[in-house]
Amino acid sequence: MEEKEFIQQLLNPKTQNEAFQKLLSDYQRPLYNHIRNIVLNHDDADDVLQNTFVKVFQYLKTFKGDSKLFSWMYRIATNEAITFINQKAKRNGTTSEAMQSKLVENLVSDTYFDGNAIQLKLQKAIAILPEKQQLVFKMKYFEEIKYEDMSEILGTSVGALKASYHHAVKKIELFMTKD
Amino acid sequence: MNMNDFRLDSEPKINSGFQIPENYFETFSEKVMLQLPEQEPKVISIFQRKRRRTLIMAVAAVLVIALSVPIYNNLSTDSTEIDAATLENYITDQSTINQYDLISVLEAEDIENIKIDSNLEDQTIEDILATNGNIEQIITE
Repeated sequence: MEEKEFIQQLLNPKTQNEAFQKLLSDYQRPLYNHIRNIVLNHDDADDVLQNTFVKVFQYLKTFKGDSKLFSWMYRIATNEAITFINQKAKRNGTTSEAMQSKLVENLVSDTYFDGNAIQLKLQKAIAILPEKQQLVFKMKYFEEIKYEDMSEILGTSVGALKASYHHAVKKIELFMTKD
Repeated sequence: MNMNDFRLDSEPKINSGFQIPENYFETFSEKVMLQLPEQEPKVISIFQRKRRRTLIMAVAAVLVIALSVPIYNNLSTDSTEIDAATLENYITDQSTINQYDLISVLEAEDIENIKIDSNLEDQTIEDILATNGNIEQIITE
């Protein structure tokens, strides 16, 4: 099915429910993984994912079709997840960076984190990167999103994304090597 | 480069280690569908309910105003309006106002009403005729 046709179905009140069910079943897993990689714990990822789909539904009317539906949804999910972390940091009277490190510390006792020492250390290494490098690294390394798609999602050139990833990898390798 | 250096691309891929509760995705879409905003026809019904509420509030406001008018009038009577007794006394006691003055300001309808109101008993009329010496003059006029 053409994407335009699918969007029409999503906007038509008669076909809307069925089309949205399909959108949910197609995107809930990849978007969950994307959000979980940012917010780290399951309950928060669940909250953010629900908000993401509700927003997608609300703003479908304004979707211009300038980008692909999937990258538009990823963009909403990314914004929702980053906003969530920032608000959580604000509520706790701390910075977003400090909150990231705290969330990684919490992974040790998280029932839904089954990471070994290397996985935990990798998360710690990622948490100290600048926000954009974190995002690019997670999307490339864990989610294996192509640079072209990532460029559309994040509104950054492919060249800049490759540079970000390269810097991220260098810093992570340095962190993993020492101690 | 040291042999012990950590190299991401030479390591077996490290996965995130995140786990997801069992059956999470099976119930997820239902959870989201329940949260979606109401669709168009229902949006109109909310609007209608709002309109009905506005109407009820308007009716209530009119009632409050309507009920408060007599109260307001009663309150203002004391201060600014002259009651009927005072008016009557004034007209009676003021020698400069005679019956012609009164008649000249009355409409035909008002005079008609006075006729109905002054439904005097025969005895009273007789008394007036008997005691009033100028009656002949009034009749001829």
